[in-house]
Amino acid sequence: MTIEAVSRLIAAPAKDRRTAANRVMAGSAVVLVLVALVSLSLGPTGITLASLPRVVAVWLGAPADAATVREQLVLIDIRMPRTLLAMFVGASLAVAGAMMQGLFRNPLADPGLIGVSAGAALAAVATIALGNGFLTPVLQPLGIYALPFAAFLGGAVTTGILVVVAGRHGQLMIGTLLLAGIALGALAGALTGLIAYVSDDRELRDLTLWSMGSLGGASWPKVVAVLPFAALVLLLAPRLVRALNGFLLGEAEAFHLGIDVERTKRTIIVATAASVGAAVAVAGVIGFVGIVVPHMVRLLAGPDHRVVLPGSALLGAVLVLLADIAARMIVRPAELPIGIVMAAIGAPVFLHLILKRGIGGME
Amino acid sequence: MIPSAPRAIAYVLLPVFLALALPAARADVVVTDAGGRQVTVSDTSRILSIGGDVTEILFALDAGSKLIAVDSTSQYPVDAVKSKTVVGYMRALSAEGVLSTNPTLIIASKDAGPAEVIALLKASSVPYVEVPDDLTPQGVAAKIRFIASVIGADNAGDALAREVERDFALLAKQRSKITRPIRALFVLSVQNGRATVAGRDTSADAMLRLAGAVNAVDSLRGYKPLADEAAMEVAPDAIVTMRNAGPSFGSDHILSVKGLSLSPAGQNNRIIEMDGLYLLGFGPRAASAARDLMKALYPSLAQSAAGAGE
Amino acid sequence: MIEARGATYEVNGKRLVEAIDLALAPGKVVAVVGPNGAGKSTLLRLFTGELEPTAGTMLIDGRSLKSVPPCELARRRAVVPQSTALSFPFTVHEVVLLGTTVPGFHVDDPRADKAAYDAIRTVGLAGFEARVFTQLSGGERQRVHIARALCQLATAKRAGGETSTLLLDEPTASLDLAHQSVVLGEARRQRRAGLAVLAILHDLNLAAGYADEIVVMSQGRVAARGKAAEVLRDDLLSEVYACRVRTNAVPANGAPFVLPYADPGGPWP
Repeated sequence: MTIEAVSRLIAAPAKDRRTAANRVMAGSAVVLVLVALVSLSLGPTGITLASLPRVVAVWLGAPADAATVREQLVLIDIRMPRTLLAMFVGASLAVAGAMMQGLFRNPLADPGLIGVSAGAALAAVATIALGNGFLTPVLQPLGIYALPFAAFLGGAVTTGILVVVAGRHGQLMIGTLLLAGIALGALAGALTGLIAYVSDDRELRDLTLWSMGSLGGASWPKVVAVLPFAALVLLLAPRLVRALNGFLLGEAEAFHLGIDVERTKRTIIVATAASVGAAVAVAGVIGFVGIVVPHMVRLLAGPDHRVVLPGSALLGAVLVLLADIAARMIVRPAELPIGIVMAAIGAPVFLHLILKRGIGGME
Repeated sequence: MIPSAPRAIAYVLLPVFLALALPAARADVVVTDAGGRQVTVSDTSRILSIGGDVTEILFALDAGSKLIAVDSTSQYPVDAVKSKTVVGYMRALSAEGVLSTNPTLIIASKDAGPAEVIALLKASSVPYVEVPDDLTPQGVAAKIRFIASVIGADNAGDALAREVERDFALLAKQRSKITRPIRALFVLSVQNGRATVAGRDTSADAMLRLAGAVNAVDSLRGYKPLADEAAMEVAPDAIVTMRNAGPSFGSDHILSVKGLSLSPAGQNNRIIEMDGLYLLGFGPRAASAARDLMKALYPSLAQSAAGAGE
Repeated sequence: MIEARGATYEVNGKRLVEAIDLALAPGKVVAVVGPNGAGKSTLLRLFTGELEPTAGTMLIDGRSLKSVPPCELARRRAVVPQSTALSFPFTVHEVVLLGTTVPGFHVDDPRADKAAYDAIRTVGLAGFEARVFTQLSGGERQRVHIARALCQLATAKRAGGETSTLLLDEPTASLDLAHQSVVLGEARRQRRAGLAVLAILHDLNLAAGYADEIVVMSQGRVAARGKAAEVLRDDLLSEVYACRVRTNAVPANGAPFVLPYADPGGPWP
């Protein structure tokens, strides 16, 4: 079924747009559950969810044999955190993208525009390269949390600088925000390059691999680490729906409609920084989700943020899950970096969308 | 040269050793690996090896038939590794992928990664042994002995290690004959007209010194890009590089860097190409690699050694 | 009631409006006219709360305008802008429903839908609910915005004693005759319902036909204010507009004046 057929089916007369939206949401939720189950059931070891009853039995006290121990390790310690992480990361990145597009009133906006990803990446790169050097006393006690923590901190610091630079005279100017974000991104990129220069061969390879994104290092601690940030964004999103909708008419109009414009802007920035920082921290740099997913939701269910925000969360989770399944199955037992898979899927889909339907229906 | 008296004793005791060693190979072995962990190894029938040098050593210890999977840096012996499953790049492993090959023992270089995946593997029921890594002749011998002890092939390991130690000792003797050390530069690759060279703390640097050369850029640390002007100042007498390693490698590329083509090495076309794993792997062939390099750097020395009946 | 007391707005040493005293009483339509640059838009923005006066005060029901939070403000006044740039394909229905952003009203509420449909019908766009906003003509878009403002005021929960104010920025700019009369007729109807209406108008004839009071602005100040007959005089207008103006005159070539008929009963059939 092509995208056109599906959207024709679903995008009935706009009077029924609400029904169409509900249908899209329900459909996406169902698809998400299915894909999540597939993700739990698929992997290079060939273990499927059929082993789950045995694993649960062992957990409840039945004697364990070597095979069941292995199944438990794969299902519970490898696949489950990986699936959850893929869902959180996908949802966070997609919702952040939708919010950015609402904030900048532009369908091409991407969370990376405000420099958050670059800042998070810089911090992560610094940790990888300098972690064995003078940063050791700070990072050592954090163990394997050092990298996610540093990345999140990097994203937060970048956002903080951004808000200060673009927020003078008490007002966050969108144009300034964009330019400052680009400038900060460039600065972070330059510093990253510098760090890459002083790192040795091994660290350099780690940097390169990390920057291509991977969910291979998924673990329960990481899931716990990213959960509060994903939750924060997903809880904030419903409150931002009206504001984002009104925002689309312009800041002046939004004000007339009763929206606290400055507070909305700051909330969006913080929510985006938190979710993107956390996502980059645990999974490296994964592109395209922030741009492509909100578009697809708009094409299917209209631009109302009441649908676009939750729809993006669901669809983003689905997309990253699919990409992750592909990443770990295509060249098994080796793995592809997920950033590459996303780009390989995302770019053609994006081009298709642009050619067929225009950008989000824009004339 | 092993003195004759101990040699005789060894011949007598060898059968005794073997008699004792064989059963030991089947019993549980507890080793303390390079990460300080105590690992119990009971089943060595399906070994997964991570690291080109680790794989090489396993094959040299005649355990190749037990190897079921290797990583992508394991390239020697060439035909033998072709038939093995490859689990990916050493520092980008997949936990489930590794486990899907059903190993009974994982022997891995300390460089294996990423950290979370290694943690998962260590937590699995498969014994995971980290191999020590030391870029010195003693380090190579220790590595061989360690891996041998893990798979219960202590004699073969000892024999191989001694061979290696002997070769290194010979090499040291040859080195002592060098009166004027050559300034050599190891070029890893050339990209955008700039060469990436090996400074201190690299395996290439260790090899250069073992071969009796002086690293022309030992003010640098690690693999670093060398600016064109700096290349001219460095003026190495010889350039060493890897052979057949891809489009940005090879002597043509090196000469495309102006500063290097104007150096004594470039002008005299003294560019030595050697196989990457052979030269830098610090596996069992390390000593012979260093010797080959020394022969290439000091041809007169090789001749005189040949003349002396080495 | 929104009122300006001695309101002045100065930027870079230039006074865009100066010492304005104007109260928007309920049940009255006030039209603000004047040449370009007279300060009409600035005045409107002072009344909407978008701008803070650099001198003087703006009050709403006795309270300082800037002390009222935006959401509360939105319950008491609605604004119809001159134009907006909307780059996403919302339907007419959805745009009008944006008016119910006023808190205290759930968007899925059938009352919101009814208010939206009523507003859409009022501006003569019945049947347009499912059309995509970005595909409408300028005039149609203008009417959608008016419908949105009407919906906003209709759905706002108001405490006793609060007045609603409708502020219109050149609402008839892109409209043809029929729709001009519809819009301004609706403004008059709203004022009978107790609203205060302020409209910036370019067309002096429309102002004369529909407004209870006309405020003529010139160079940031109020040049004259009062009923149409008092204010629309040759001498005053000639000075303010810097060109010769004749009122109530028959042109030499016999061409008639055209004034759309104000039908207070409902939309022009």
